[in-house]
Amino acid sequence: MTATAERIPTSALASAPALSQRSPLSDTLRKLRRHRSFQIGFVLLSLLVLIAIFADVIAPFDPIRPLSGVKRRDTPCIHLLGCPPSQPEHLMGIDGNNRDLFSRVIHGSRLSLQIGFTTTLFALIIGSLLGAIAGYAGGWSDNIIMRVMDVVLAFPSLLLAIAIVSVLGPGLINALLAIGIVSIPIYARLFRASVLAVKGQEYVTAARAVGGSGMRLLFRHILPNALTPIVVQGTLGIATAILEAAALSFLGLGAEVPKPEWGLMLGEERNSVFNAPHLVFFPGVAIMLTVLSFNLLGDGLRDALDPRLRIA
Amino acid sequence: MHRTILSLLVVLLIALAACGTPSTPSAPTSAATTQPSAPTAAATSAATRAATTAATTAATSAATSAPTGNLMKVAAPDCNYGDKDNPAGIKSIEATDKYTVVFTLCHQNPTFAQAVAFVTNSIQEKAILDQTKGDSAELSKKPNGTGPWMLKEWAHGDHITFEANPNYWGTKPKVKTVILRWSKEAAQRLLELQSGTIDGMTNIAVDDIANVQKDAKLKVFPRNPLTIVYLGMNNTKKPFDNEKVRQAIAMAVDRKRIVDNFYPAGSLVAEQFAPPAITPGHNASKWYNYDVAAAKKMLADAGFPNGFDVELSYREVTRVYLPSPGKVAQDLQAQLKDIGINVKLTPVESSAFIQSVRAGERTMFLLGWGADYPDATNFYDTHFSAAIKQFGTVYSDLAQEISAGGSIFDPVERQKHYDKVNDLIKQHAPVVPLAHGTSADAFKATVQGAHASPIENEKFVVMDPGKAQLVYMQNAEPGTLWCADEEDGETFRACLQIYEGLLTFKVGSVDVEPALAESFKSSTDGMTWTFNLRKGVKFFSGHELDANDVVASYESQWNAKSPNHTGEKLGYTYFGSFFGACLNGPKC
Amino acid sequence: MAQFILRRLFFLIPVLIGILFVTFALARLIPGDPCAAMLGERYTPEKCVNFRIIYGLDDPLPVQFLRYLAQVFQGNLGNSIRTGRSVTDIISERLPMTVELTIGAMLFATSVGVLFGIISAVRHNTSIDAATMIGANIGVSMPVFWIGLMLAYVFALVLRDTPFFIPPSGRLTAGLSMTPLLQEWNLQDANGLVAFVVGLISNSVILHSLISGKLHILKDGLWHLILPSLAVGTIPLAIIARLTRSSLLDVLHQDYIRTARAKGLPSRWVLFRHALRSALVPIVTIIGLQIGSLLSGAVLTETVFALPGIGTQLVTAIEGRDYPIVQGFTIVVAVVFASVNILVDLSYAYLDPRIRVQ
Repeated sequence: MTATAERIPTSALASAPALSQRSPLSDTLRKLRRHRSFQIGFVLLSLLVLIAIFADVIAPFDPIRPLSGVKRRDTPCIHLLGCPPSQPEHLMGIDGNNRDLFSRVIHGSRLSLQIGFTTTLFALIIGSLLGAIAGYAGGWSDNIIMRVMDVVLAFPSLLLAIAIVSVLGPGLINALLAIGIVSIPIYARLFRASVLAVKGQEYVTAARAVGGSGMRLLFRHILPNALTPIVVQGTLGIATAILEAAALSFLGLGAEVPKPEWGLMLGEERNSVFNAPHLVFFPGVAIMLTVLSFNLLGDGLRDALDPRLRIA
Repeated sequence: MHRTILSLLVVLLIALAACGTPSTPSAPTSAATTQPSAPTAAATSAATRAATTAATTAATSAATSAPTGNLMKVAAPDCNYGDKDNPAGIKSIEATDKYTVVFTLCHQNPTFAQAVAFVTNSIQEKAILDQTKGDSAELSKKPNGTGPWMLKEWAHGDHITFEANPNYWGTKPKVKTVILRWSKEAAQRLLELQSGTIDGMTNIAVDDIANVQKDAKLKVFPRNPLTIVYLGMNNTKKPFDNEKVRQAIAMAVDRKRIVDNFYPAGSLVAEQFAPPAITPGHNASKWYNYDVAAAKKMLADAGFPNGFDVELSYREVTRVYLPSPGKVAQDLQAQLKDIGINVKLTPVESSAFIQSVRAGERTMFLLGWGADYPDATNFYDTHFSAAIKQFGTVYSDLAQEISAGGSIFDPVERQKHYDKVNDLIKQHAPVVPLAHGTSADAFKATVQGAHASPIENEKFVVMDPGKAQLVYMQNAEPGTLWCADEEDGETFRACLQIYEGLLTFKVGSVDVEPALAESFKSSTDGMTWTFNLRKGVKFFSGHELDANDVVASYESQWNAKSPNHTGEKLGYTYFGSFFGACLNGPKC
Repeated sequence: MAQFILRRLFFLIPVLIGILFVTFALARLIPGDPCAAMLGERYTPEKCVNFRIIYGLDDPLPVQFLRYLAQVFQGNLGNSIRTGRSVTDIISERLPMTVELTIGAMLFATSVGVLFGIISAVRHNTSIDAATMIGANIGVSMPVFWIGLMLAYVFALVLRDTPFFIPPSGRLTAGLSMTPLLQEWNLQDANGLVAFVVGLISNSVILHSLISGKLHILKDGLWHLILPSLAVGTIPLAIIARLTRSSLLDVLHQDYIRTARAKGLPSRWVLFRHALRSALVPIVTIIGLQIGSLLSGAVLTETVFALPGIGTQLVTAIEGRDYPIVQGFTIVVAVVFASVNILVDLSYAYLDPRIRVQ
């Protein structure tokens, strides 16, 4: 069939099953522990998760309600750096609606993590299902599914997401749906490639010959084999999803005000880069750190699980 | 499997088909007949000319030397050619000699002079109009005007280069070249200005104004506010069918806080719908005082002691009247929370928002208006007249007063109507007028003659940067370079450098002064307007301006049956709002 | 091979029709109409009745789609609703800018990315490696518009009066211009393909200035391209750096490299003569793949730098519901994107014969 439509070299995937030799798990863990990028990513992400869980405790102010008695867009007031103790401390300053920016950034971590996980999970499940059907059934259903995926991939993903949100109407849920939809094809292709790779192996042919059922094949042979690339791609996909959600919110198509979403915070203050840089700087850094942590994790996983995996 | 997908596709197609509503083709109807225009009826025109010259004897001997011989006249048979929403405004337009044009009106029109000065009513050469059929895309290719600037190059997407018209009749341009650029982002425009690559820019971001004012190299030019931003409420949606609820909200909004926080200096807290510069129209009356306790009580009286939930919709589009829509909406949300109202904010995409507001589908909405021309009709009629559905059922007492105020000429009499209008708006509270927002342009301090016009009619001809070229950066690219059928300010700004009307707005002001007309006068009843054209004004093509050019230019917009009335498919919306119905229209 | 190419092209046909369908459907399903978008606050439903009839906007959507399809297959993308100009003309004005920007970003991303990758691989598992990779990862993790504004701020404002000043926006310094080639070559009456191609060349500042030998304009054009290229190229740079590193590591651990080292060849020699060469295959492939994301990056970045490319026009057209432009431009982007994908597939097939057999 037309495995050639792949953007991922199938040859690289085809050799994946040969990878696991002796106690693969401990091997992987050992590699991961030694991997510097992974270490840094892991620490960052753990911190972020903690912040998200304890956001209510950490954030000193309400992220939504405007404060009274503060100066709008005021620069950070940090006692350690010489801000008089008589003034209340605002680590990242005050935003354009008289709110404590630090509290908003802290609460934003919740949203961003939720966004990353839900969209990726959505795309992963649907994409894998489609890929499995396409790869397993082959023939016309394979053709139709993969052509539809080609059409989706024919558009730059963010542009397509923008178009979909424009149709559905702006809003966080719709933005998540759009990002999920545009990232389906990559999982479909990955999964299909794995299925095809396994399908050709002798032991699967043998299993089929002795009457192994489809379900059994799927869970015993195909899923474990597809897991490696999917996990790596999924981790990197979370990073992309967070970035794309931020971009949509930046354009006013994602999260609704007054939600403390980082991209939205950037978008609201897009013209403040030069006159109140803290309003743009801190949410930008928050996005960067979160995305970075997933990228580093993904890098580490890839190196540890399969050095030959060349998905960008 | 593939069958499933195919059937899905079929369902999708059916759904799509169902979405498209069946078309209701109705060819533009021709209600009234027109007096034949020049090309077809030279005989009648000649007869008219004979009559006119006989009547006005000595004064205008020029007419006899008219080389073309035939003078145009376009006239409606009577003043019944409009309909209820678009009443007939013009009776006839006539070239009485080579340099005189007479407009006869159907009723008094207080904004007539301003309309004539507006850029959509610029004068084009008759021969060129006939040749291009008045199509703005064609007319933009090699614009032919009488103004101080000629088009040298339009690098689509990037910039427009104008060069000085060496034969310009008025004050000569100070520089050889003007380059018009554009960028959507205010931060970007300011960065260009600060880095010295441009000489002037439109609309500084609100929060930048204070910084720019401190910069000795730059100078800020604030506009006199001619805008209104309002919180609209639809009386067909619960609970806004209750006048007390609307009044409670009117008291619960701290307008001063909004202006202080989200508007540049020079903006005003709105006490009425029309800004102070609009006279007649604005008066001394004040809006409700900000009073949370009174608002709460009023709300309780109305049957909502615990408040209610409501949706506030707005669009995330920066306008002079609303520089930060999201922030104002969030502030309103927080303010209304104080009287127990839970506001859900719903940003809606721009054009969909406008459509649904105008269709009367939005419960509570944040919108505004910037003046096209400084007259009360441009504020009141566009919002509260009988044809407007955005606040639900029309307040008929209010609509009546507005209609009366807009069809008479005497300012004192008009003000009496508008006094009542202001009282009625306060009583019914269909809107909470929030602010009259202003905007500011910025220039390098070295640019002489820099200015900002209240209606964004900046004229490059008086600007002198002290070097060979002036670079100016606005918000967006002009759509075309012929503005009769245009709608947006960015396009207007480009057009008014090239074209001129009979009258024009004074630099940086909303007062009119003669332009292509050397002088003009209206009859005492305001029903007849006579314009005496400036002699020796040449179009870029070399043709000398004459009265037929004026009549032809107006006819192309006014007469829906004119071969030159093609224009853009949207029609001549400004002409309609200035002069009412179109001949053979009834809409323009 | 020929059969393979034919088969790929054959499968492109349904994809193209799919693209047309999706583009059309998306454009029409977006709420709001062009008339309301043009009128803004001045919109009233009555003003738009005639407009909708003239543009057939009230016809059933399948009818509109078939009409559009028929038009496209005649090579006609229609006229802009807003300005009445031909969409093909507008494409020939806008595409060169976007392509120039994409290429500029590509050059930057490739050169620096490969360099970083090599450094990182050679110093594998050292702090330099970690720092480079974290740096590369930071590059992928920044929002593009943010990078753009920051670059503009530093180079246009902070370095204003130094030789390092770089203009923050625009295609050329105000005042510089060139005569369109159609005019220069007396081809004003040309239409169809000739006009389109000459238009493309003429509107590419780099090609045009090279052809007419105006080197000062070439220099100015390149100068204006620097910041946007940096902004667009940062993300692909990081991706290329990561891939270069991993594929180089892969190669360095293979037997023949070990042998070469064991033979006592200087390690730099081994690196450049042997390792880099074989590592280049996947690198070249990934560069091909990145063109797509570069293209969309370019489209998004143009707004930040006020560049007259596809992106700025597309944004304006979407806001204005200028369907012919939205459709025409999306098709162009999608076709370019799809062609690049095919080229990449072909290069796989060329590099790895096993794929053809499948």
